[in-house]
Amino acid sequence: MGRVMVRELALLLRRPVLLGLVVVLPVLLIALLTSIFRAGIPTGMAVAVVDLDRSDLSRSITRMLDAAPEVQVTHQALNLSEARALIVSGAVRGAVWLPAGLERDMTRGERPEIVTFYDNQYMSAGSMVARGARGAIDTALAGLRLSIRQGKGEAPAQAQSALQPIPMQTHALFNPAFDYVHFLLAALVPTVLQILAAAGTAYAISLDFGPGRDPRDLVRLAGGILPAMLGKILPYTGAFLLVLGLSDVVLYGWLGVPLRGSLPLMAAGAVLFVLAAQLIGTLAFVLTRNIGTAASIVAVITAPAFGYMGLGFPREAMSPVAQAWGALIPGTWYVQLRIDQSLRATPVEISIWPVLWLALIALGLAALVLAQLTRLHRTGTVAT
Amino acid sequence: MNAVLRAMRDELRALFGDAQVLSILLVSLLIYAVIYPLPYRAELLRDVPVVLVDQDRTTASADLARRVDASEAVAIRTDARDMAQAVRLVQERRAYGVLLIPEGFERQLLRGRQSPVAVYADASYFLMYQRVMQGAAVPIRQMGAEVEVGRLMAAGAALQVARAQVSPATQVEVPLFNPAAGYATYVLPAAFVLILQQTILMGLALAATRRLQGAGNPVVLVLGRMAAWVAIYAVLLPIYLIVLPALYGLPNLGRVRDALAIGLPFVLAAGLLAQCVAAVFRSDAVVQIVLLALGLPFFFLSGFAWPVEAIPPVLNAVAQLVPSTPAISGLVRVSQMGAQLPDVAMPLWHLWALTAGFGLLAVLIQTLQTRSASGLSDMQATGRSET
Repeated sequence: MGRVMVRELALLLRRPVLLGLVVVLPVLLIALLTSIFRAGIPTGMAVAVVDLDRSDLSRSITRMLDAAPEVQVTHQALNLSEARALIVSGAVRGAVWLPAGLERDMTRGERPEIVTFYDNQYMSAGSMVARGARGAIDTALAGLRLSIRQGKGEAPAQAQSALQPIPMQTHALFNPAFDYVHFLLAALVPTVLQILAAAGTAYAISLDFGPGRDPRDLVRLAGGILPAMLGKILPYTGAFLLVLGLSDVVLYGWLGVPLRGSLPLMAAGAVLFVLAAQLIGTLAFVLTRNIGTAASIVAVITAPAFGYMGLGFPREAMSPVAQAWGALIPGTWYVQLRIDQSLRATPVEISIWPVLWLALIALGLAALVLAQLTRLHRTGTVAT
Repeated sequence: MNAVLRAMRDELRALFGDAQVLSILLVSLLIYAVIYPLPYRAELLRDVPVVLVDQDRTTASADLARRVDASEAVAIRTDARDMAQAVRLVQERRAYGVLLIPEGFERQLLRGRQSPVAVYADASYFLMYQRVMQGAAVPIRQMGAEVEVGRLMAAGAALQVARAQVSPATQVEVPLFNPAAGYATYVLPAAFVLILQQTILMGLALAATRRLQGAGNPVVLVLGRMAAWVAIYAVLLPIYLIVLPALYGLPNLGRVRDALAIGLPFVLAAGLLAQCVAAVFRSDAVVQIVLLALGLPFFFLSGFAWPVEAIPPVLNAVAQLVPSTPAISGLVRVSQMGAQLPDVAMPLWHLWALTAGFGLLAVLIQTLQTRSASGLSDMQATGRSET
């Protein structure tokens, strides 16, 4: 096994393409993803204001909108159809409509409508506009309500507390800094690595089946199928773990993502995850013995894997079929483990389950690979 | 003209004659069309489970809990004695939020004081957090407003006056497009464009790596290949952009010909980019693996899921070189937002500019390849029969 590993490392250094796929490409992609999300939580979504009132009140609402971090007033539209055209073309993400007679109707107690239109097709940006506008208008209205109460002689503190008899105190469990950025990264990195670990391993193995090579040489060199397989795979496990470790140093060290769980558990999960991802590639190749077809199988399993992890749309809300498919993919469990152990500080007895699932997946894949290799060895099939 | 047709025929033969290219172009369409959208079929997140920690146990606290439970977004599934037990339920992913009503809630309300309640939501899942906060905020605010109106009326105000004082204006929020906030409606139109691009890139780059250096005028060869892609995607593009979205019940507000007008330069730009990718990486396996890994970064660079406002300017500039960036913007605006061609003039011209740029590069690459292969043209025939 040792000899196969040494031979593999020599191969890795001799072949710039292989080194590029298993080390350079993942590092580059992880750096790319990190810099996409580096700027943090998005702010300053462009909105248009349709101010048909042109009063002190409407101007003060516009100022409040501009002051809200989520939005930024970039356009003044003359009417709703102009505002709509701005939204459709993408110039703004939403529009706030302040009707004519707003201030007058409000002082008369007629409760006029203020309407916020937002682009919900670009849901992430649109919901931010809705939230920002709601907060800004609430603030403007609260100021008005406060001045009415104070006008009636209430003390400022008393008036303030009377505005909201049941205040809602909101707390974020587990992720007090609201860091979706790092949370997204913590899941995107494994997704990309899963693709490359599976495809890269398949590619590395395919080189032993190439022209002028007999895969049985490898078995002879290692003295058995199992050591041959391990010797072939483990050097890459090391390479991918190194890349993963490097990105974790950046994530938890430099970017300061909280790491509030058990390190050994995280490490065990990482090893099992990389192995399982590699075994997907291995199985795809030994079954097809054609790197093109194997890459297609890897693509079908790993490319849509991000959606199944439930970071955007949660797993619990998916159909049972989607949940089951997601459960077969190593990345699903590894990402869950990372979130549990970094943000949620989940107790080990709950968090052990994703690790056990990963072990089960890795073992199942390894058994399938061994069975297929044994079959190939017995029948003496040599790939063309 | 005959030379263009010959190049077109050669490319069609190369694409249809290669089982692997064909499987990428056609079979992956089927598989991806099934596997990609599967997680999002449920569309909406309803009745997110929330734990109730009611330390007050009064009529008022029960009323508040009932109102929160009645909201569409959340449902109160379990009671917990204290916060520790509630947090444990959230850690086990059996609930995603906690509504804590402290002791003395009703007493404070009856005394005319402020009586706060606390909502804890699982912030490690973005959508869950939003839904829990939404589901709790509206009923709590409503109950608060009713209490305030009651107090003002007790102090002698008329109902209308009290109401106007509590909320001087009515805030209305109107989602334009995707009004139900469906997750599939949100993500699939953009995802389909990205999948289309990745299959074009993979399939055509694969064919390009396996192609033996063609002989002839490089411009003619490239034009002929472009004609071949247009012929194939005249069939595939409507499937991705019209049939699949319709099968998934996604709305389509746009005109088919507007979508196709954007689709044409998109297919050409992606196909020409594939020629460049193939020239850089050369090996068929490597091309496939690299493009596979790039799919997700391309998606987040496109400015759809992650707003362009938050993407660093340098990266955003790089993102403009990827056809999916303008194509997602243009096609989503046409199909989902009812944009017409003047509304999407920017992405449309952007795609034609990419077509021109990558076209020049592809001709340049072809020129170099033709030059290095001059004199080997008779090997071409034997080479082709192998594939």
